Amino acid sequence: MRSDYLVVLGLLAVTATPALAGDRLQLTGLVDLRAVYADATPSFLDGGLGRTRFDENHDGLQLGRLMASVRYRLTDTLTANAVAEAYGDGDKNSLGLSEAYVDWRPFPTHPVRYRLRTGAFYPPVSLEHRRAGWTSPYTLSASAINTWVGEEFRIVGTEFEARWLGASQGYDGDLAVVGGVYGWNDPAGAIIADRGWALTDRPSLLFSGLGRPRTDLYYEIDRRPGYYAGVSWRHGETLEVRALHYDNRADPGASNKGGDYAWETRFSNIGVRYEPTENLTLLAQHMEGKTYVGPDSAGPYQFEMRLEAWFGLASYERGPHRLSVRYDHFMTRQDRGFWSEYAYDDAGHALTVAWTERLGERWEVVAEWLHVRSLFAPREDLGVEPRSSDNQLQLALRYRFHLAAGTSPN
Amino acid sequence: MTFTAKPLVRQCRPGGVRLGWACLAGLLSAATALAGDVRVQVLSREGTPVSGVAIVLEAPAGVVRPSGRHSAKMDQLNRRFVPEVLVVETGSEVEFPNSDSVSHQVYSFSAPKRFQLPLYKGVAHSPVAFGQPGLVVLGCNIHDEMVGYILVTDSPFHGSTDASGAAHIPSLPAGTYRVSAWGPRINDGGGTLTATLAVGADGPQTLTLRLLQPLRRNPSPRPGRIDWDGY
Ligand SMILES: [Cu+2]
Repeated sequence: MRSDYLVVLGLLAVTATPALAGDRLQLTGLVDLRAVYADATPSFLDGGLGRTRFDENHDGLQLGRLMASVRYRLTDTLTANAVAEAYGDGDKNSLGLSEAYVDWRPFPTHPVRYRLRTGAFYPPVSLEHRRAGWTSPYTLSASAINTWVGEEFRIVGTEFEARWLGASQGYDGDLAVVGGVYGWNDPAGAIIADRGWALTDRPSLLFSGLGRPRTDLYYEIDRRPGYYAGVSWRHGETLEVRALHYDNRADPGASNKGGDYAWETRFSNIGVRYEPTENLTLLAQHMEGKTYVGPDSAGPYQFEMRLEAWFGLASYERGPHRLSVRYDHFMTRQDRGFWSEYAYDDAGHALTVAWTERLGERWEVVAEWLHVRSLFAPREDLGVEPRSSDNQLQLALRYRFHLAAGTSPN
Repeated sequence: MTFTAKPLVRQCRPGGVRLGWACLAGLLSAATALAGDVRVQVLSREGTPVSGVAIVLEAPAGVVRPSGRHSAKMDQLNRRFVPEVLVVETGSEVEFPNSDSVSHQVYSFSAPKRFQLPLYKGVAHSPVAFGQPGLVVLGCNIHDEMVGYILVTDSPFHGSTDASGAAHIPSLPAGTYRVSAWGPRINDGGGTLTATLAVGADGPQTLTLRLLQPLRRNPSPRPGRIDWDGY
């Protein structure tokens, strides 16, 4: 923890530096401190099978998050982007990378604009995480769907997007197709199969693994690339619709020397964001998917799990105040491969209520109550009731800042 | 391609005078003001003023007025083009001052003027010349939601409607003019209204164009969202 506080001091010191004329280098920083009160099944981050980030062992002051998102303009059309983060909860590295990529955006010369990203980044699934560094403006804890995306998915590869720029043709909307090819995502599925769904704001970092015992993520096992493909429609700020299919195309029979199997994981996500007025945001996503592990020849002993979740969120903003309410529903169903006494079937729902108060340009206070009910039989292995009703109260004090420096080429 | 308007308003509202294809809801004269001043007002279907509409009066053959305005400004403020619609005469130079705290990368791939103009903070950039008449749609390669329009016209008689929905075009030589009004959110006839207007020596005239179809919704960007959606 000590090194995290040094990072806090470092970030605060950086904000004191005078801004220079240009903005070739842009930095968005976030310091997020929490007061936590939780009455919840032991957290997955501490080896439990709970669904919240914090349990009663975390009551009191906690480091919510330190984040620095950096963008550097290499040329007119090429930027280098990286997000560094710390959570102070036993990361392998006290400060780790969550994203690092180069983004090439040539100037459009006709109504279709191309964009190419290469590196490590989140797949374009979440409609909640709209702010710099994959932060949600609505709630502290992400929905079940997007918690999972943050925990087990990072595209280490290349994404191509072609966007039809409707405004240039007299339409208010933009239509885009997007596709990605990647590797190093073979372990995706291991966490959700073991634990079920969760609602946290604790995404994984690229080189740190997640949870206790630590699940390592982002390595290649079967040398088979995965893909995703999707479409999105945007109508000004009013409407956004996204659909995406992801398939890591892993060979569930492949394993590495350490005995880690590849998880063949695929999902389809559809999401809608609608802002009928300037104050109101309505947002919903639905995801269903499957994950398999074990060779196909294992027949009924091959592990096969269905996953499904959805949520609906309403957020009302008025001046510096914002109130957000979200309902989540989630389930997993183990269809084959009964290796344990208990089926790894998860069923639950959650209610999240968050109040955000902006205090000037840099400070923000967020109060959030998260209530999760779930039924998950494998908790009995840990001597915990399979049925749980968790409550987590958080008060976050956030300091956010933007810095820019350096004039550009030409 | 010149900015030619298609005939569009096919019905007159009660009290309107039919002139050409459009409605003249009011055709006033007042002896006190200078002859040849024209005020064109655009009203929505509901009767509210429509601002940011480009008004062009095409001069009758033979009437040429030397142009006085050959430079203009298209600013960037709160991640919007200000004004959203700018009318300039062919050959004008337009400055893009960028009053925002962030950089922009303005581009156009419209046939009358294709260009790419990075507007980085702390870097000076020269104005852009618009040598061909027509509609130039501006975009920003960093902020997809930023859209602006420069209407380049050969006519020296032009303006855009203000908050009261009116544009004033002063000192027109007498003659019969073809009036066109174009706005990005006008639905009537694909965005263009036309009318014919006779300008005499007997004082200022007001031409009111009233839309028959509802305006397209303003996509209303949210300027407070500084680091949202890929910023
Ligand atoms: Cu811009």
